[in-house]
Amino acid sequence: MNEQLRAISELDRVIHEPGRLMIVALLGAVKECDFLYLLHETEMNKGNLSSHLARLEEAGYVGIEKTYRGKVPMTLLRLTRAGRAAFDQYRQGLKAAF
Amino acid sequence: MARPKRYDNIDGTGGMFMGLMILGFALLGYLQTILPEDSFWSTNGFASLLFMYLVIFPVLALGYWGSKAIKKHLTWPRTGYVAYGAGGTEAQVKRNRWATMGALAVLSAVMAAGLVGLVVLARRHHAVSAVSAASVARVGYLAFWVPLYAFWVWRMGGENRWKWVGLLFLALGLLVIGLLGPDDVIALVRPVMLFVGLVWFGSGAITLCLYIRHTQPPAPEAE
Repeated sequence: MNEQLRAISELDRVIHEPGRLMIVALLGAVKECDFLYLLHETEMNKGNLSSHLARLEEAGYVGIEKTYRGKVPMTLLRLTRAGRAAFDQYRQGLKAAF
Repeated sequence: MARPKRYDNIDGTGGMFMGLMILGFALLGYLQTILPEDSFWSTNGFASLLFMYLVIFPVLALGYWGSKAIKKHLTWPRTGYVAYGAGGTEAQVKRNRWATMGALAVLSAVMAAGLVGLVVLARRHHAVSAVSAASVARVGYLAFWVPLYAFWVWRMGGENRWKWVGLLFLALGLLVIGLLGPDDVIALVRPVMLFVGLVWFGSGAITLCLYIRHTQPPAPEAE
């Protein structure tokens, strides 16, 4: 198989899905953020965002911490080391493919 | 991705902080002019440094804690909390650090070379009078603010197109100050800083008003 096609076929499918790619790209540029920020930026509904986050957490790419700001519940999200490495590899794969 | 970085100024706090900082230096300049020449604060080196800190630090503290308070009570409950820092991969963080240091070094070198060149030119060529050297310095000082503000608008508020009108206003205002202001460059610094600080702060304040108008905190059961 051609090297460029191989790079495409080897792209991480967990990250490749557009909704999850948005989340990982946003999380990749910050240290951490809360659920509300991702909701505002991605314009997804809560259900969709939650399911994508659950998938990313399952893959070990996103760390989720439930906490409180005063009395208001807050969900803190951050890319794990594995998540950052996977995102970096994904971008390199895209560069190699195109 | 630039969008998360721009989010830091979505509420205009970045602009207001910059404006406040510049206004602090303008205030310092004006206070120094009203101090008597033989005053302890003017004649003693340590005291004049202390005087600068006494004026600048409260202004910076106001900007810092004011921004924090706006973020905590307005921004985070409306559009979410973001913490910056070690964002990006290790390679990106390292690259950004080197790029920042490189840009600062180049900027310093260009400014130093410009100043040295100006002094050398004024000394070597008798045709270049002190007046024309001062004029070059004057125009250079006025022109310095326009690309600086343009870079800020492009980097932190490019999505708000009205901010480019602010840039035009800044450029025209500086032109007017240049034409009507004092001839002495040192005396020119104060009104210029006052004007630039007000424009910068005003732009941030308008951004905050628009942000409050266009966003609402979600219902308590949002999460």
